[in-house]
Amino acid sequence: MAIAKAERLMNLALCLLGTRRALSKRELRGSIEAYLEASGDEAFNRMFERDKDDLRELGLVIETVENLDGETGYLARRDSNRLPPITLDVEEAAALGLAARVWQQARLAGAASGALQKLRAAGMPEAEDAYEIQPGALEPRIPVHEAAFEPLMLACRDRRPVSFEYRKANAARPEPRQVEPWTLECWRGHWYLAGWDRDRGAERVFRLSRITGKVRSRAGAFTAPVPDAVTVRETVESWAGETATRSARIRLRSGCGYPLRARATETREGADGWDELEIPYGHGLDAWLVEFGPDVVVLEPADLRADVVERLRAVAKG
Amino acid sequence: MAANAIDQTRRMLSLVTYLRERPGAHVADVARAFGITEDELISDLDVLPMCGTSFRGGDLLDIDTDGDRIWWRNPGALSAEASEPLRLAADEATALLVAARAVATLPGLREGDRDALVRATAKLEAAAGEAAGASARLSVTFESEGGVFAEVDRAISERKRLWLRYYSPARDELTEREVDPIRLFAVGHTYMEAWCRLSEDRRTFRLDRVAEIRILEEAAAPPELELRDLSEGLVQPSADDPEVVVEVGPGGRWVAEYYPHDRADELPDGGLRITLRTPDPASLKRLALRLGSDGRIVAPTGLADSAREAAAAALAAYEGV
Repeated sequence: MAIAKAERLMNLALCLLGTRRALSKRELRGSIEAYLEASGDEAFNRMFERDKDDLRELGLVIETVENLDGETGYLARRDSNRLPPITLDVEEAAALGLAARVWQQARLAGAASGALQKLRAAGMPEAEDAYEIQPGALEPRIPVHEAAFEPLMLACRDRRPVSFEYRKANAARPEPRQVEPWTLECWRGHWYLAGWDRDRGAERVFRLSRITGKVRSRAGAFTAPVPDAVTVRETVESWAGETATRSARIRLRSGCGYPLRARATETREGADGWDELEIPYGHGLDAWLVEFGPDVVVLEPADLRADVVERLRAVAKG
Repeated sequence: MAANAIDQTRRMLSLVTYLRERPGAHVADVARAFGITEDELISDLDVLPMCGTSFRGGDLLDIDTDGDRIWWRNPGALSAEASEPLRLAADEATALLVAARAVATLPGLREGDRDALVRATAKLEAAAGEAAGASARLSVTFESEGGVFAEVDRAISERKRLWLRYYSPARDELTEREVDPIRLFAVGHTYMEAWCRLSEDRRTFRLDRVAEIRILEEAAAPPELELRDLSEGLVQPSADDPEVVVEVGPGGRWVAEYYPHDRADELPDGGLRITLRTPDPASLKRLALRLGSDGRIVAPTGLADSAREAAAAALAAYEGV
């Protein structure tokens, strides 16, 4: 039976961590059973390169040095791999325990528990119920349903350009985009990417659920400078119509439209079963007002009124 | 499988450090400290004796368990240096730091917990060093309604009943009800799961739709319920729910992003034919109105008719004003 990958990785890690001088590939192959069993040099080389990459993903700093005979050797020096001293009290440990549970994405959930385990091995105290749900304690969860998340997270981390097909909100077909990805942000449960759109030569925000197909890595480095602060949230808020720039006056049937009332800057109760409200708004108010059907009448401005009437006509026609 | 091998290797490296200092550690204690099941720990303990700096001679780790305690019989097989705690990987630092920063911004978090989290984050940033750098490339904002949140939180910890005035968008109405809160969670928005005494059923309330809230004197007495698995999504339509078919043009494709559905078939004009199920089809009248020329309800016909009638009634008012 083939030797399990975890066993092979563990052996390579222990060899590299346990040595004071660089070990050649030949030596490593002689010490690790799974490598000895590899069928042929090519299979071994492939396996070895992949394993080294995997250990680096786990945070191991592996150095490549040439020995006196000109042979390449590898080692993981203690100095570059040791966790600096960190002392956490029980409350801090419990707080990190809560935070580590929020990821619903396999890679980040694994990484978060891996971090906790390293801290535990370094002496982090145990809260009595670190992994239990306490009554009343809030359970925050970060949802990640978008397939594009993981490749984009890695591309942001490594600053690698990517390309993908993107379908804009109102577009029938997706279009190819070439992007230098900067940051990912989750707002109201949806993920957004901010980055440099190479074809448009400008900063753009993309909603991950509108990326269709695979995210592909492009060779080469970023061509545009990465700004110090990226403002995903402001862009998305304006898409959602939350940046009010204008004010509308509407009539609203009494007892109806609570969220409109909650947002109104002024409400005048009428005697005829209708109230008059002043509502600040950004874009998208027309579609929202139509939802209230015959319980809302737009008074001003005229363009909003016309938009609402046009939408109502479309629905009435069926 | 590959991801599991990575997670297992990561865990075993920490286990070696942890076990070295705790001869005779109990399986149950170690599993709890590592946040894994005892079975997972045992499977790690099956692999560890196959690991070492060489498979020859006595270099393999002689780690052994009787199912209750764990013994490492040759700790000298690994130098003390080689089993020191390892630095955090970039992904590990990112996963923990991004989560900690997000949770620390929750307005409803208890102050003591928030302080502890802020302190821990600072220490973690320092210990992670360079590995913390990439964590700024990921961020999460939770939405939360501060005042309502605090009341719900208090009601849960004191096990008190709550009175709510709650807005239902489907009916555009406020209803008053008494609920026994069960838990609070945040997935995008913040929600309370509670036993609703009005509907005598478990209900999920979005806190930004709570118009008014009061803690009552009565003790909460929710029936024993198994907590829902949040990873399956908040809306879980049942197979018995009536089916609704919506056809949208390109401008209405967002419907498929917001509504869990059974299927979404491409239409030749770039639109979609979306089939979904809901316990209350009448609640989709609002969707039909919102879509305007971007889409229409195909079935059930009663729902399509009610949207048309509502639009016609609304238009009548414009002729009069």
